[in-house]
Amino acid sequence: MSVTRLIARDELRLMVRNRVAVIAFALLVLLTLVAVLSSWSHQRGNAELRARHQHEAEHAFDAQPDRHPHRVVHYGHFIFRPLGPLAAFDPGVDAFTGSSMFLEGHRQNTANFGDVRQSSLLVRFGQLTPAFVLQVVAPLLLIFLGYGALARETERGTIRMLMLQGATRGQVVRGKLMALGAVALLTGLPAMIGFVALAGQPGALALPMATIAIGYAAYLALWVVLIVLVSAAVRRSRDALLALVALWTVAVVLLPRVAPDVASAAVPLQNRLQTDVAIARDLRTMGDSHNPDDPHFAAFKRSVLDRYGVTRVEDLPVNYKGLLGLEGERLTTTLFDRYATASYDAQRRQNALVEGIGLLSPTIALRSLSMAAAGTDFAGHRRFLEQAEAYRYALVQRLNRMQAEDVSYADDTAVDAGADRRKRVSATAWQQMPDFIYTAPSGATLAAGAAPGLAIVIGWLALAAVLLALATRRLGARR
Amino acid sequence: MSHDISNAPNAIHIQDLTLSYDEHRVLDGLTLHVPAGSITALLGGNGAGKSTTLSTLLGFVRAQSGTVLVAGIDPGVAPDAARRRIAYLPENVALYEHLTAIENADYLLALSGDRKDRGVITDALAAAGLQERAWDQRLGGFSKGMRQKVAIAVALLREVPVLLLDEPTSGLDPRATADFNALVRAVRDRGTAVLMVTHDLLSAADVADRIGFLEGGRIVEEVAASGTERFDVRALHARFAVASKRLAA
Repeated sequence: MSVTRLIARDELRLMVRNRVAVIAFALLVLLTLVAVLSSWSHQRGNAELRARHQHEAEHAFDAQPDRHPHRVVHYGHFIFRPLGPLAAFDPGVDAFTGSSMFLEGHRQNTANFGDVRQSSLLVRFGQLTPAFVLQVVAPLLLIFLGYGALARETERGTIRMLMLQGATRGQVVRGKLMALGAVALLTGLPAMIGFVALAGQPGALALPMATIAIGYAAYLALWVVLIVLVSAAVRRSRDALLALVALWTVAVVLLPRVAPDVASAAVPLQNRLQTDVAIARDLRTMGDSHNPDDPHFAAFKRSVLDRYGVTRVEDLPVNYKGLLGLEGERLTTTLFDRYATASYDAQRRQNALVEGIGLLSPTIALRSLSMAAAGTDFAGHRRFLEQAEAYRYALVQRLNRMQAEDVSYADDTAVDAGADRRKRVSATAWQQMPDFIYTAPSGATLAAGAAPGLAIVIGWLALAAVLLALATRRLGARR
Repeated sequence: MSHDISNAPNAIHIQDLTLSYDEHRVLDGLTLHVPAGSITALLGGNGAGKSTTLSTLLGFVRAQSGTVLVAGIDPGVAPDAARRRIAYLPENVALYEHLTAIENADYLLALSGDRKDRGVITDALAAAGLQERAWDQRLGGFSKGMRQKVAIAVALLREVPVLLLDEPTSGLDPRATADFNALVRAVRDRGTAVLMVTHDLLSAADVADRIGFLEGGRIVEEVAASGTERFDVRALHARFAVASKRLAA
């Protein structure tokens, strides 16, 4: 057996003979198991609930009776964002942003402008997920098991005893790395088995799964190297423990907590009330499609009459009220899109700032990586919102066109006893409306989103390895 | 009984060694040769340079000038290679408390590539004076003397050309000291060069073939046993006192 393996084996023997270490490790495995099961149960329940509600919403939409198309515009439609398989491992911002939307004409009833979106990268201590266990708890266990790896040997003088037997500094450090690495592997293994079990469902994409696995492996390897580095750099075990707990507190707890607050302060985001007031103000200046005397719509009316070569809307071959609906929706959607884009941009800058702070905290970087690869980050939520808005706009405009083409202007403006029946469109029209189908991103897209976080974690790992190589040179040195 | 070392090669070769920490000169032209199959005791007061001499031989510190060779290897250039040729018994024995006496010996011997069977290890522990009931006990409850016996057993089991001893009898009672000296002589007789750093003139006189008196970082007096006669402790003490006064003057 090589010297490195002998040293690693002895370090593991010490851990096994330390009952506290064994109990702590058993507790972590138990915690991981609970996290996997609760995540699996939660995700499955959520997916079923959303699928059932989606089905019911589609059924309710299709079951509408013969009615005027504009009533259908206001009747609206509920859609739900289906969860990807990896969301069970890391639900990301899903709990904060919600995943259901009510689609209707003239409005974007979404969380687009909501306060909760500012929390897109907040630490989620309330949720027990495999990702949380690996990000937060596993490093702490590694610290408690490994802080004395070299400091204890230095403190007790056994480091020289090792070297006097011919073990080189490099062999000693590699032995300690191997032992703690084995513990990290065992620590991460239950979560990774859970990850494969949770994520290995139909539709799971190999590339993001591999990215997550590599990211978490690099993160745990980073902690192993950091622990051995600190243990090599100090002369007393107690100092190593204090330094490592402080490092964990700052990198895992403090910075991920502070970063979103810094981002919110640096890039303020309007709350819902402010946004609603601003939109209402802009709508007043823009005009009202329901008000035929509005200057904008008066000009629109003239252009329509000119295009068709008639002088009265009654002489148009199409229902002018339908055309008004089309134009009104186009205008309001342009306005809503402008606000949505501004909001997205602010959130993008907030997230960029948080990811910048991730240079100081590998935990933030890993969290970004994990959510991006799982498709549960802000970009994933935005993807859903944009697809939902595109569907809403197409649906409303289709109904407006239906009003323009299938309901005559005369009937639409008639008030006689039978007019209401003549304005109606057959119920089969609603059944022919396409359902909302969320197009999930490709594996390459998800992996590309996770790449910056992965680069930061690997960069940290490389830096820590270089520092450890430098610290190794001074190991056991004494006057 | 005296031991003939006149034709033996030097396993430890120190020539004109100079070493300073900051402004303080610790070794000042130290010259010392320890032939294979001999025991040299190095005596001296605190700060005389005894421990620094051992640290230099072990490659933990590097001299500013002079030559150091351990079994032909410069520990300043190749410390790991030099250490593989040295068995070292420190004054304050550092062993693993989570391991038993046998496990400690097995682990350290395995690291040095000199792995032995359990029977060989227990023989060495017995020879070092450790009681049988302690062999399979973890070192957490061991006294200093018991730990030292484990370390002695490990040092004796290392089949290397050089044995360095740092105050080896400081934790031992007179009976154990006599037993230990017998062990050291047995190691010498198999061809090992032994360098013993000690305050204990009586023990040095009992076991050493040659005694050097270290003061101010160099050997100021060196005495070898001759023929069948051992050292006269009273005469040794007087010679060292004179040498010390001469140096001070």
